Amino acid sequence: MRSKGQREKEERIEENIDDDNKEQEVHKNRSHSKRLVIVAAIIPFIVLAVMIFLLFSPTLQSFINSGIPLPEIAIEKIEFRENPSQIIAFIRNAGPTEITIAQADVNDRIHAAAIEPGKTLSRLSDAKVIIPFFWNPAEPYEVGITTDDGTRFSKTIEAAALAPNPDSQQIIFFAVIGVYVGIIPVMIGLLWYPFIRSMSRNKYNFFLSLTAGLLVFLGIDALIESNDIAADNVSSIFNGQVLIFIVTTISFIALLYTSERLTQRAIKKSMSSAAETTSPYTSYSNSSDINSPRIKLQATQLQMQELVKPLAISLMIAIGIGLHNFGEGLAIGAAVLLGEIALSTFLIVGFTLHNTTEGLAIVAPLAKSRKLMLRRLVLMGVIAGAPTIAGAWIGGFLYSPIATIIFLSIGAGAIFQVVYSIGSWVLRPTNDNGKKSRIVSVNKFTIAGFAIGMVIMYVTGLLV
Amino acid sequence: MSRTRLWLFSAIAIAILSTAVLLLFYSKNTQSLARAQDTNNDFSRKNIVGGHTPGYSILETSGDVLDPVSLNVTIKDAVVDPMKYLREFNYGKVSKLPNGTTLREFTLVASDDKVKEISPGVFYNVWMYNGTVPGPTIRATEGDLVRINLINNGSKSHTIHTHGIHKAEMDGVFETVGPGGRFTYEFTAEPFGVFPYHCHMQPLEEHIVHGLYGVYIVDPKTPRPPADEMVMVMNGYDTDFDTENNFYTVNGIPYYYMHHPIQIGKNQLVRIYLVNMLEFDPINNFHLHANLYQLYRSGTSLVPHEYTDMVTMSQGERGILEFNYKFPGQYMFHAHKTEFAEKGWMGLFLVKDTTPTTGGPAYNSTTTANNMTANVVSQSQPVSQKRGGEI
Repeated sequence: MRSKGQREKEERIEENIDDDNKEQEVHKNRSHSKRLVIVAAIIPFIVLAVMIFLLFSPTLQSFINSGIPLPEIAIEKIEFRENPSQIIAFIRNAGPTEITIAQADVNDRIHAAAIEPGKTLSRLSDAKVIIPFFWNPAEPYEVGITTDDGTRFSKTIEAAALAPNPDSQQIIFFAVIGVYVGIIPVMIGLLWYPFIRSMSRNKYNFFLSLTAGLLVFLGIDALIESNDIAADNVSSIFNGQVLIFIVTTISFIALLYTSERLTQRAIKKSMSSAAETTSPYTSYSNSSDINSPRIKLQATQLQMQELVKPLAISLMIAIGIGLHNFGEGLAIGAAVLLGEIALSTFLIVGFTLHNTTEGLAIVAPLAKSRKLMLRRLVLMGVIAGAPTIAGAWIGGFLYSPIATIIFLSIGAGAIFQVVYSIGSWVLRPTNDNGKKSRIVSVNKFTIAGFAIGMVIMYVTGLLV
Repeated sequence: MSRTRLWLFSAIAIAILSTAVLLLFYSKNTQSLARAQDTNNDFSRKNIVGGHTPGYSILETSGDVLDPVSLNVTIKDAVVDPMKYLREFNYGKVSKLPNGTTLREFTLVASDDKVKEISPGVFYNVWMYNGTVPGPTIRATEGDLVRINLINNGSKSHTIHTHGIHKAEMDGVFETVGPGGRFTYEFTAEPFGVFPYHCHMQPLEEHIVHGLYGVYIVDPKTPRPPADEMVMVMNGYDTDFDTENNFYTVNGIPYYYMHHPIQIGKNQLVRIYLVNMLEFDPINNFHLHANLYQLYRSGTSLVPHEYTDMVTMSQGERGILEFNYKFPGQYMFHAHKTEFAEKGWMGLFLVKDTTPTTGGPAYNSTTTANNMTANVVSQSQPVSQKRGGEI
């Protein structure tokens, strides 16, 4: 679609050409040009369609398809079941053409198997290969799939473990794990609120930077984790690594926009009662101009920011951490499913310690805001922690590597957005008593906080 | 941000999340429920048995069955009919030379462009003599003049290198036969024994692993005692070209004799001409269950070398195995390199109580072999159910 301005410009040109024409004709021209615009928009599509048609014609096909299409089977997930004892492989045709599966093997020994829905897989479609097999817990197994041209694809599981079954017991089990790993640690972290509240500005900035450090670690962790999954479990056709980058970026930008809108709207709303409406999009740099006649208004605005912004940041942190914990839950559930980890008390303790810092991250920006309701704090804890439960359910029962990397990437984007918000908040111009503005630069407190934040995460991460 | 909005936002988020989770569970459960109902109502569902190992429960599936081990799948474009091949001996076009020597003339046509089914559902570009892997079994008596006409219908050069005693120019090594070319090998059949013949073009590995080989038997002038004679070639297929075999077989198709047991008579002398043509793996072997056999290494002696149930051979090695079963029933035979066994090299003898009508020559005719095949096919169903625990 062309913009109104462009259209008007064109019309003006047409008018210049047909200077002598009457207004009626101008009107005619206008509708005529409108039709032209539509045709111009459609023509490329027609050309493209013809092009595609030609490409699929037998002559060009024989010209293009000189190579032999190689089959590609991705074994996305392997499950171990009992009663009856089975190994189930979830496979996907990641090759360029239709594939027929000829046989399955376990540890390179041919075994009878069933394949559902059928042995012929169209491009990108998936199937379930069920191999009756007496497997032994904790032993490694290699499952192989052979296509009709004799090519064998295989995947190794380090240690076979019984796949979780979505019965009430397992659902409760994962919920409890989620509560321990997600909600409780975050809530514990929130208990630091009174402590942080009573500290000086520099110490407060230290803790904010610490939070940023914690979050940067989580963000990097999520990216690496999703990269591993993309490399190991996602067929190359999905371009897993590119997807991580795209999703992270989109998540970052979208959340940045959302949080800015939320903050501005809240400020605008609270301002409207205090003063006449000015542009809420006034940038910070203007505020350093003391001689500006609008200084008084801006002072009020900054005061409102002091009130509203921390809450918004905290909420964004809670959401970001929530997304991250959802990914963490997926990872825990999937790890149980894939038999990669044994859930031990030690592991849960590790996650608990690790995630306690997340509560700190939520509570830090709120330290200086007055009138904080406990209910609101608890709610943020739930937003941050509860997704772990949902993640563990989905990861444990319906593991999908592609969904996992998408969630992890959204979480990474959210986390980086929060880091950005904290950064701009720490380095914000402060307004003391509405008289003086200064910009807090990077100092030893912020640097130390940032570094220590990452180190804390690294050390507690060793426990997991 | 107002408190109401915060509440609203969180409530919506939680609601969406929980609905998604519930929906996922619901859809999964209803699917499995529907499937369970399907399997109850539809009797056309296929059953599969978990391999040949006893104790595996029968698995019902709405999908397809991948079971080359125990399922009797009709192979439309098979690389060979193992049951026909088993007892098919070609004595050639026989004529007498003026000096009284018997001339046996054979024609082998080499090809290298065919894609055949080597295991149920697995297609592989095989290079063949007379359209099968292994190629036809050539049989002569010691002192006969053997004439083999090679017609190369392939796109590459091929030869026939026959083991045995002959002149250098009849060895099929330096006289390469190009595409469309012909060559006639002529030599006296000596000594008696069992020999492989194969293409000797380089790369040798490539020409052999694709299937250009067969068995050449020279009978002693005084024939061996009559027996139910069979030929068995141990081979493999490297279908993904990683210089490791994906399939191991005896007589060309993995597991074939598992669902088509070889019928033999109780107390009937069985003689197997066994040749190992397996590429890549240094050894191969033949183990017979619940019995022992007399082993004549290379078949060049009338006195057995060993009385055993296990013979190990490297590529090109061969021998004659003689045995008979005292008790009726099903007996396994397989490579005692279990990897080979579990990738196709295993089979069954079905020992029948009825006294065999004849030995030896009767089984050599193709018609008898076909009748046998028909019998075995019709009986394979109850047989496979009785199977279990032989290994």
